[in-house]
This record gives sequence, structure tokens and C-alpha cells, in this order.
Amino acid sequence: MADLNEGRLDLPRSRARFIAFGVAAAVLFTTLGGRLFQLQVLNGELYAARAVEAHTVDVPLMAPRGLVFDREGRPVVVNVPSWTVKVRPADLPTSQIGTVLGRVAQMTGTDATLLRQRFDAFHGSPFELVPLAHGITRDAALLIGESAAQLPGVVVEVEAQRRYLNEKGAVDGPLLSHVVGYTGPVDINEFRDLQDEGYLRDDVIGRAGIESSFEKELRGTYGRQLWERDASGRPVKVIRTLSDPVPGKNLMLTIDARMQRIATDSLRWGMKAVGVEQGVTIVMNPQTGEILAMVSLPAYDNNKFAAGISADDYAIYLADAAKPLRNHAIADIFPPGSTFKLVTGLAALEEGVTTPSRRWPTYGCYQIPGAPKGQCLFDWNHAGFGPLNILEAYAKSSDTFFYQMAVALGVDRLGYWANQLGFGERSGIRLPGEAAGIIASKEWARSQGREDVFTGELAQAGIGQNVVAVTPLQLLNAYAALANGGHLMRPMVVRGETDADGKLTKAYEPEVIRELPASPANLQTMRIGAREVITTGHAYNIRDLKLPGALSGKTGTAEFGTPTAEGVLPFHSWFLAYLPSRAGATDAQLAVLTFSYSAIVPGNVSLEVVKYFLQEWYGLDQDLRLNPRNFSLVAAN
Amino acid sequence: MGATAVTTSLVENVRARRWRAFDLQLFLYLILLIAFGVVMGYSASYSDAPQAGVLSQTVKTLIWTGIGLTLFFVAASVDYHWLQTLIAPIYLLVLGLLSLTLLIGTSLYGAQLSISVAGLDFQFSEVGKVLMVVVLATYLSGRRERVGRLGTIIGAGVLMAIPTGLVLLQPDLGTALVFVGILVGMLFLSGASIGWMALFAGAAVAAAPIVVRSLADYQRQRLFCFLDPSADPQGACYQLVQALDAVGSGGLFGQGLTAGRQNQLGFLPVQSTDFIFTVVAEELGFIGGVVLLGLFALLVWRILAIGWGARDALGAMVAVGLASMLLFQIMINVGMVLGIMPVTGIPLPFITYGGSSMISLLFGMGILESVRMHSRKPTF
Repeated sequence: MADLNEGRLDLPRSRARFIAFGVAAAVLFTTLGGRLFQLQVLNGELYAARAVEAHTVDVPLMAPRGLVFDREGRPVVVNVPSWTVKVRPADLPTSQIGTVLGRVAQMTGTDATLLRQRFDAFHGSPFELVPLAHGITRDAALLIGESAAQLPGVVVEVEAQRRYLNEKGAVDGPLLSHVVGYTGPVDINEFRDLQDEGYLRDDVIGRAGIESSFEKELRGTYGRQLWERDASGRPVKVIRTLSDPVPGKNLMLTIDARMQRIATDSLRWGMKAVGVEQGVTIVMNPQTGEILAMVSLPAYDNNKFAAGISADDYAIYLADAAKPLRNHAIADIFPPGSTFKLVTGLAALEEGVTTPSRRWPTYGCYQIPGAPKGQCLFDWNHAGFGPLNILEAYAKSSDTFFYQMAVALGVDRLGYWANQLGFGERSGIRLPGEAAGIIASKEWARSQGREDVFTGELAQAGIGQNVVAVTPLQLLNAYAALANGGHLMRPMVVRGETDADGKLTKAYEPEVIRELPASPANLQTMRIGAREVITTGHAYNIRDLKLPGALSGKTGTAEFGTPTAEGVLPFHSWFLAYLPSRAGATDAQLAVLTFSYSAIVPGNVSLEVVKYFLQEWYGLDQDLRLNPRNFSLVAAN
Repeated sequence: MGATAVTTSLVENVRARRWRAFDLQLFLYLILLIAFGVVMGYSASYSDAPQAGVLSQTVKTLIWTGIGLTLFFVAASVDYHWLQTLIAPIYLLVLGLLSLTLLIGTSLYGAQLSISVAGLDFQFSEVGKVLMVVVLATYLSGRRERVGRLGTIIGAGVLMAIPTGLVLLQPDLGTALVFVGILVGMLFLSGASIGWMALFAGAAVAAAPIVVRSLADYQRQRLFCFLDPSADPQGACYQLVQALDAVGSGGLFGQGLTAGRQNQLGFLPVQSTDFIFTVVAEELGFIGGVVLLGLFALLVWRILAIGWGARDALGAMVAVGLASMLLFQIMINVGMVLGIMPVTGIPLPFITYGGSSMISLLFGMGILESVRMHSRKPTF
């Protein structure tokens, strides 16, 4: 302690070194301050932008899918809430997985092992929600919500689900399933392509019917909301809404659900009477091309699809030989039989092969020109009718008359007129899966390795057999063009857009595919012929219906397919009719077609179905339906 | 040193009017820094647990500050020369504590840094730093006229090498660097030979690659992130990338207390300890950061002034050692957060949440206050 007492410094203190040390400290603080200035003031925005990107997340806002109404404003497709239990693995302690999933299973009435499988099958981020059970009851959803404390990581999300209704507003998918279709989940492969259009990984998309073809209108546009998220990925709070969701458009069908019901019931009655597995009825307004009813039986239950169809149910549909998932009205093609005589007849008049008055001989069997003697084609009336003009031949449906017309026309001219009337091409109705059909032509012959069609094939094409196959819709649309005075209309299934109450706010304009290049006089001749079919032909007692107009139409049958054990070919029958105010008028507001596929009894059950439909739709106090046992008495052709 | 002795010295000091020499400036800076730390600690823990957690962390900090301030006043009131007489036990205590940490320490992020007793973590390397300042100050002041010789550097080097080795084994690179910083700063200001020091510095630089190679992989990766943070932004450099984003987001004025998004959303993994400066920068902006750095600068300046005015070499060396320690810790911690220094875990003095650091620092500052109070000749 001597130094202290003497006040003498024991170590010399260097002023220079103290100053150097101080300068070093000053440099250090200046450097840190400068760097801080660089990071925060000069480049601050750069880092801030990066930070914002890291802790914000773009959350989609789902747009409600558009509703669908029938033409009278009855809701036929609505959205209902559906509850889904999900779990966020990050919030569920591993030791509790078994207990928690067990409780969820108990509350929702599902199988705990199934939930465990779904949980284990998920291989995403632990912060993503894993769906455990879809479509749980509202009560189960509430129960889970109340028990949140005992169910760490478990959340219930409410999602919209499609519900398909009938004309009375009751849940009833099959009535309109082929028109309306259904929605289903987007699969992982589609998702890659759809991602850019704003689809989400667990989104739904229209799969059939207008749900598919009007997907863009019904879906609407999803909105976007910017959320702040924490470091573990959980959304914390809304920063702002970037864009509001635009709800999907509500659509009004051209279909009248009540008419659809009558058409369905009448078709079902006829099919049951003769043991037919497949049938089609289409009703159309010939003036506009609007489809008023479109029934394809058997139908499927699209509500099953909306809820997520089980593999078993789906397998049953796929295994059904009558193909309930196909809309036979547009997706399948059949020989039109005698109904096709409209095309052959109009072509013969237009091409000058015959005149309205010229009589042609008819035969029991028509000798094919150029073929060995004895190779002839039978008339359905094996006795022949004697000489007939075109009106008589059409009304009596003479086959041998139209064989001669077809052969005289040649394959090119017949094909030309078939195309003009809309055959061999898609009508362009906005429904998925439409078929184009087949019309005999040189191209078709070449595809078979020949120069030209055989004369026999050409003759048969003239009566809608052999190398002619059409969709029921094409056939009805051709007759609609006859009925409206020569305008081939684009069939339409959606009438326009509506408000939320089903009031039409924007009507879609009817569209003309083409004006038929036929003279009004020749069209008038064929319309008179169609009226003759009802009045003097063999459409039997349908003429006795007290309808508000002069019903005109045509029957048709075709025999093809696999013969029965007795060697009888299945019997396929057509009937179409339209209702002008008087014979030959072009003011018909209703045209109807029925096709019955593969009856084992001969006779035209389709005629009976249309008859029944007209009785019911017009509320007639008549019932002229034949006893099904007597169908075979009806002249078939 | 028993309780009687303390009481006696307190009474003597009062009688000697030594408290008139109490350095209020130093005390003021300390209080401001501690207050700053309490507020930032509150904000950093705000998001973790909105109710209980916040209070408990803030309350703990206040309790530690209370203990620290008690030690501060006790140390201040006692003549610092008592340290000289106890220097051998002090040095052995440092070595003992560091060895104990190695033997029974609890593991944190792969390193044994602290010892848990009754739920409290003791990080002995913190008190070790302050005590090593005292040890070196005693040694260097005893060298007197021989201070310029090579022996000074070797002697001080050997004294420091043992504890440095022990913390490197934990492994705690940050504390080891601070030990080296203390050594260099004190040697420089004691008057040691610049030539010899330069030679040793050259040797150390040459040996650096060997040290780096001996590090664990995670340490090495983290160490070099500052050169290119984008090298592994999701892995080893995650903390640094997030810290830079947070600092940059602060801008000029900051996002406001408890409102820093990177902080509150949990993007800063150790925001209340090693990365506390990011919270300052994010929430209080450039202004807040400069204010804090300014406080530190004033503190260091004041400590150097006390050292310059100290009555004897022991006092001067204690001051110089504490200044070096603070400077190094600030440089390494803030430099790391700003991406200009390697990432090593080291607390920011007075601001980082932690009892060992707070108590040790206030104890050291108490010794400094004692130096100040005992610098003037007693006036009779």
C-alpha cells in the first residue's frame, strides 16, 4: 500500500495508447451505426419486403357456386353446408393421437381405425389440415366444437355441398341428373393444370351435365385475402382483402321440371310395360331450340356424387349394362329407322328426283339395281302398297318407295341433305359428351376399304338403317327445323342467368345453326306428310287425342343388336311429334321424341309413351294408352 | 471478507466522504441501459405468453437487477485493493467454476454453458469474465517497470489461456473471443510491447484455421453465414436471414414497441437473448438502435475516463479490462445481428435477458465505482 500512500503511479499510463483505444472504440461504434443505417435506412425496404413475404400468406376466399333454377324459377340445384372434421398434426401431441382420434370417431359415429389410416396416410406439412371425416352431422360438428379443449388440433370446417332437387323442391337427384350433372373433387393430376386458373388443391369441379359445361359461369371467381402468419405457418390475422370473391352466376335451365317429371313418369311406364332397359324422351320448343325436358333412363343419383360417392356405389353404376351414367339422348347413336325418311324425302324433292304428285311403284321386295336377280330388300309391308306419291309413301312409311329415292339420289346427295339437317355433326348443345353420329358416305366406304357404298347399303340408308346412326337429339332437332319453317336451331339447355330468387336477369339468345337450303313448298309438303302420318298413317289412335293443334310426326323402328334365344332381333322404336296450330303451320311450340331401346316385343312403345306424355302434359281427360299386351297390334313401322 | 468488514468499510467511506466521489454519470448510464433492457425484454417475450410469461420474465430481470445493484454498492463501498490480496483464490475460483460447468453443465444447443441449481441456471463464464479482468489487472499492475518485456505478454497469455481453453471445450466460442479481447485490450493499455503483441497476433491469425477446423459442423456453418447469408437461408443461416429482415424492416423509426412483426410472429428464434438487438432495431428503428449504441459509447467512454483518472495501475487496469470486455461483447453481438460478424452466442451487456450476465456486470461496475471513489486523495 506504499504506492498509494505516496500518490505515485506504479505503471506509466500512455496517453497515446488511451487515445488509440478510444479511437478504436469510436470507429467500432461508427461502423455499427453505419451498418445499421445501411440496413435500415438505405436498404430497409428491400428487407422489409422480404420479411413481409415471409410472414404473410395469400388465403383464397371461396366464391359460392351458382344456383340453378328450372324455367319456371323452381330451384333445382342449391348449396347446403357440409361439415368436415380436420386435424392439424402440429397441434396434436403424438402421445394423444390415439385418444383424440378415438373421441372424434365416437362423436361422428365413424371408425377410429379408418380415421387413423387417413391421418397416417397424410404426408404434408404438419401445419396443413388433414381431413378426417366429410359430411358429418350438424350435431356432431357442434359437439366437436364444444369439446375443443379435449381435442387438441381438431377443427371443424364448414364447406358448401351441392344438393339436387326435383320439381317440388325435394331432394331428388335422378330427375335431372343427366342435364344438371354433378361436381366432384379436383384430382391431383388435373390440379397441376387448373392451379393457374385459381383452383385449390381440395377444390371441386363440375364433372357432368351443366355443372361441367357451365363450370366457368357457375364457379365464379375466388377472392384473395392477405393474412399474417406466424413462423410456424398458422394464420394469425387478416391484413387486408386483396379481392372480394365474385359469386358464381345463377342459371335458369330451359327445362321445365314439371314437364321433366311427366316425361320421366310416362317413359318409365312404357319401359316397364315392355321390359325395356334404356329409353329417352326429349321435349323441345322448335322455335327456339330450347330443351323443355330431357330424360335418359336409367338415371343416376347425382346427390350421391355431391356427398362423395362410395366406391361400391360407383362400381354398381359402372357395371350396369344400361349405362346409367351416360346421357343416351346425346351421347349414344342409334339407327333412326323410318324417321329418317324425312331426310330422304326432302332430298328427293329438292334434287328433283320426284315431284309431290309423281307416283312410284312400290314392291313387297325391292330388287337392288346391279345386284344378282333375287337379291331384294323387303318392305315392312311384304305385300307392297302399289303406286304411291311421296305424301302417301311417307304417311304409310313405305320402305320400297324410299329405297328407290335413295338410289336415285346417290350417296353424296343423300349425305348432303342429312348434313344440312344436322346429322353427322354435333349439334353443339352445351352439354358434355355429345356424339356426332354416322351418315353413309364415300369417306365412310373408304374407311371400310372400299371405293363406294354398296347400292344395297345406300337403299337402306334411305330408310334410316344400316350405315346411318344418329343421336336422339339430332333427330328431334331435324324435325324441329321442319316444324319451324326451315331454321336448324342450336339446342339449348340453359335459358339465361338469374338473380338469387330465380328471376331471369339475362336471357341467352337462341342461335340458328343454319337456314335449310330447301324451298318452302317442299318443306310444306313434308309437314303435310307428317300430319298425314298421324291422321291417315298407322300412328293408330293418337289422332284421337283432343290436343290444342294438329299433331304431326313420324314413327320409326329398327331391329339390330344381339338376337334373343328365339332368334328375334331386339326391337328399337322411335316416335316423334310436334304440335302446330293446324296442318302444315310453322308455329309449333312443342316437339317431342321418345326412343325405346331393345324391346323384346314388337310394336311401338315409344308412340304409347308420347301419347301418355301428351295426355298428362295437356291435362286431357282421355286415356288412349293401349294395354301393353296389345302393343304388337300396332303397326310398327 | 466478512459482513463486519463490509459494514466497517461503509462507515469509513461515509466518514471519509468518499461517496462524494461516487460517479453519478456511470450510474446513470447503467440505469438507462438496464431500463432499456427491461423494456426490450418485455417486448421480446410479449408474444410468447400474453399473460404469465411476460410478467415472470420482466420480474425476474428486476430481481436480478436488484441483486446486481446490491453487489454493485457493496463492491463500490469496499476499497478495491482487497482484490489484490485474494487474487490467487479468485483465479482458482474461475478455473474451478469453468471446470465444474464442463463436468456437470446442462446442454443448450449442443453446448454445456450453464449449471442448473434449484431451477436456476448459472452461467459461470459470465462472472469468469469479470474476475479474469481482476486477475489480469492485478498481474499487470504488479509488473511495474518490467511491463514492456516479453514476459508480460507470456505471463498474461498463460493466465488467460487456461480459462479460454476451458470455455472453448464447452464449446463457447463467443466467451473465448471475449477473453482474448480482454487480454489484448489490457495488454495494449498496460504498456506491453507493441512489437511482441503484433508478432503474437500474427501467430494467432495463422492458427485461426486450425481452431475453425476443430469446431463442430453446426458452429462452423453458423460462423460463416455472415459472409453469404443466402447460402443456406432455411438451415444454418436461418437466424441470420430472419435477423437481417427484422433489422431492415425497422426502417428509420421502427414498427413500435411490441409491434415488430418478425419478433411477435416468432421468426426470431432466440429474440430475448442473443438476438435482442434485432428486436430493438425492428421495433424502435434506426433511431432506437443509435440511441442504444450511443448509451454504450457513453458508458465505454466513462469507464475509460475512470481508468485514466485512477489513482493506481490496479484501478486503471480494472477499468481498461471492463471497457475491453464491453466493447468486445457489443462488437460481436451487434455485429452478428447486423451480419458483419460471425454468428456466435454472446449476450449484449445489460440488454440480453439473463441473471448471470446482469449480476456479474453490475458487480464489475461496482468495482469500477470503487476505483473511482478511491482515486482521490483523502482530504483531511
